[in-house]
Amino acid sequence: MGSNDELKSEALLEQMKHHLNTDQGKAIAKKIGLVYQINIAPKKLGFNEVAYTIDLKKGEFKKGEYEGGKADAIFSFTDEDFLKIALGKMNPQIAFMRGAMKVKGSMSAAQKFTPDIFPKPSKM
Amino acid sequence: MAMRELVTGGAACAVPGSSSSSNPFGNLANAVLSTASKGQDWKELPSSLPTASEAQFYPEAHGQQLPGPDFDQPYMQPGAQSSDFIRNFNSVGGNALLESAWDDVQGSQLPPPMHGPQLMYDRGAAAQLQPTLDGPPQRVLSSFLHSFVETSRGGIPFRPTQLPVLGLSAGDKQCIRDRSSIMARHFFADKSEDFINGQVNALLCSLDIDSDANSKGPLPARFRELEGYWNESQAIQKPGAHATDGWVREFSQHRVDRGDPNVWAQSFEQQHGAHGWASEFEQEQSQLMSADHMRGGNMASLAAMEQTRMLANTLAQNEDPKFQKSRFLQFVSKMSRGELIIDDNQVKQATSSTAGDWAGEYQQQNNAGSNWANEYVHGEVELSRATQWANEFSSEQEQHGSVDDQWVNQFSKLHVDDWAEEFGNQVGQGILGDNSTDSWANAYDEFLNEQVASKQRLDGSRGVYVFSDMNPYVGHPNPLKEGQDMFHKGLLSEAVLALEAEVLKNPDNAEGWRLLGIAHAENDDDQQAIAAMMRAQEADPTNLEVLLALGVSHTNELEQSAALKYLYGWLRNHPKYGVLARPELSDSLYYADVARTFNEAAQMSPDDADVHIVLGVLYNLSREYDKAIESFRTALKLKPQDYSLWNKLGATQANSVQSADAILAYQQALDLKPNYVRAWANMGISYANQGMYDDSIRYYVRALTMNPKADNGWQYLRISLSCASRNDMLEACDSRNLDILQKEFPL
Repeated sequence: MGSNDELKSEALLEQMKHHLNTDQGKAIAKKIGLVYQINIAPKKLGFNEVAYTIDLKKGEFKKGEYEGGKADAIFSFTDEDFLKIALGKMNPQIAFMRGAMKVKGSMSAAQKFTPDIFPKPSKM
Repeated sequence: MAMRELVTGGAACAVPGSSSSSNPFGNLANAVLSTASKGQDWKELPSSLPTASEAQFYPEAHGQQLPGPDFDQPYMQPGAQSSDFIRNFNSVGGNALLESAWDDVQGSQLPPPMHGPQLMYDRGAAAQLQPTLDGPPQRVLSSFLHSFVETSRGGIPFRPTQLPVLGLSAGDKQCIRDRSSIMARHFFADKSEDFINGQVNALLCSLDIDSDANSKGPLPARFRELEGYWNESQAIQKPGAHATDGWVREFSQHRVDRGDPNVWAQSFEQQHGAHGWASEFEQEQSQLMSADHMRGGNMASLAAMEQTRMLANTLAQNEDPKFQKSRFLQFVSKMSRGELIIDDNQVKQATSSTAGDWAGEYQQQNNAGSNWANEYVHGEVELSRATQWANEFSSEQEQHGSVDDQWVNQFSKLHVDDWAEEFGNQVGQGILGDNSTDSWANAYDEFLNEQVASKQRLDGSRGVYVFSDMNPYVGHPNPLKEGQDMFHKGLLSEAVLALEAEVLKNPDNAEGWRLLGIAHAENDDDQQAIAAMMRAQEADPTNLEVLLALGVSHTNELEQSAALKYLYGWLRNHPKYGVLARPELSDSLYYADVARTFNEAAQMSPDDADVHIVLGVLYNLSREYDKAIESFRTALKLKPQDYSLWNKLGATQANSVQSADAILAYQQALDLKPNYVRAWANMGISYANQGMYDDSIRYYVRALTMNPKADNGWQYLRISLSCASRNDMLEACDSRNLDILQKEFPL
């Protein structure tokens, strides 16, 4: 950290990174076994996007685009909308239909992208 | 009611004494001219009077262009064009067209305040950019009103204009005065009361009408006004002395009663754009090759039904019993169950049996018009004339529809109890028990919840504190004391109410706001906590506890820069550590600098628990969880009885995926404060993050039992229920039925 305009989603995705090392994280990776790339825009879809890769084949998370070929599905969200989806405030199908979520790649892969793969942050 | 009717003198809001008619401008013309020529027109009309609803049964008339009286022309033609557009839109299905329609649909989910009037203007008077201030009086009045509407689009101040003498009667003036002030409040919903009054005064001044109307109440008063109009329209049940007038009145009465559902339905569909949606949806689906489970159905009516189901569900969630009984809800629920379908913008009964119901209902409402109703039911209406009528109606209703967008929005904002009361005494049943297993339907329901939730969040994120509706502590002699007692007894939700009463009484009481904020945070509602703490900070900008609480809440909401600002504010305002704060930092805060300063503070006085707590929060921000845990542990040695500190430790451990340790820490917190909702919810989160969904459900339910207003808890519960394959309980979760959930998942 250093700048103050860090994406909120990054905080959650960082937690995902550690989560993938837990038993539950491994179970999720095993269950899904797909590679997702997530592009997150601070305000408006397609602008200043930051890419993250959630590799549920290897059970890894990293910042940046997927380098092992083609991700099974690539999602684009705004920062707020990603949080809503990951925290169960918005249904991914709805997000998709409303245009709050863009998807490239396999639709069946995209359908496995559900809020339960993300750990929920606890509150102080 | 169509807003347009309010403006131009439709039947429902007719002022007794002025003649009302189906045609608003006809009404104006009648009132203004008082000539016999209009009466002649009326007499030529069919003796059995089609109502707005009858137009539904002549779909062939829809969009058909028949010449009306010449002052109707500007309305008739755009109306027909727009239905052409809808037809083309449905048949052509070009990509560009669909996309633009999609944009419309998207846009209409949050229509701008000017939406309604703008559409009305576009359709109604596209050619009349400048008011035509000559010609017959009704023309002058019409174009003058249009120019008023036009200025409202851009929020331009309306200037008084010199008009020729119009010869308006006192009743007409009252009509215009009342309606323009209501209308203006809709147009300028985002403007100040002064601006609205200015606009209305300018209008009234031009028309030489006194503006000292009694209709100038503050915004909420308009619903009472509407109620008044409604009562008036109900009151004029008796046929008038004059044959024509009586006839006209009777007719418009029918229109009110029966016309409403149609207008509603239409505007509803327009707002949500059933056809646009359906086409877009179909297109997306086929693109994605996953259309299998939605193909083959009648997309338009399916989508329309789903839209209605959504509406029915939201409406059903309004717990006001008056509203639950409203006829509108019943109507919508009928549509959602497919008993009524919308086809070509006309409402139709799906089966003949329900048609009977409707006819019966209709007759009950209109004892005076029972003969007419019989005729109507048996279809013994002269077709040619009826067609003309139907046509006139459908074109007119299209204009109404656009304005009704606004109205529907207003309506769906709820708080329309008074108004809803007037809608009758029939109970809308079977809406909640009618859930199909269709996943798309569920998705719509969720969408709806999410919209409601997002609205609340929007209010919250603006930092606006949302008070409870019914507060028994208002009027309590010492609500602060009461609130403090409740808080210490651990009755958080009660404490919230008492403290709300306190800050309503003394809005500058920093302690009241602070404790309220803490109660909300412990009750697991960070948005309200932030809103209350902001008020506390306003009242007392240097209160350290408030600054720390704001830092913590913003950290929880992942709002890093805001959190950093408040935590640094804590340091700067601290009597001991304030000297460490460097003034040059406050402009552009960098985490590393702030952390370094806090470490200096901790070295200065290692026995101050507070500085370790702030440091722990700060390390949470940077996700240096090990350091954060260390800081909290140090603080706990100094303050072992601080339950919120145990929870902070637990949350930090949970976020650094040490969930098992976290649960121990939460348990400590709960031993010290058994009603600590946040700790219960955090327990649920920790179990869920470990994949122990059954356990997590029990803890979520426990937390929600103590504070059902914590939206996060409901969302997490839903996820855990799905993951635990307890889809049978999703409905109880969606309807927030804690009785069922508690029985099913005891802790």
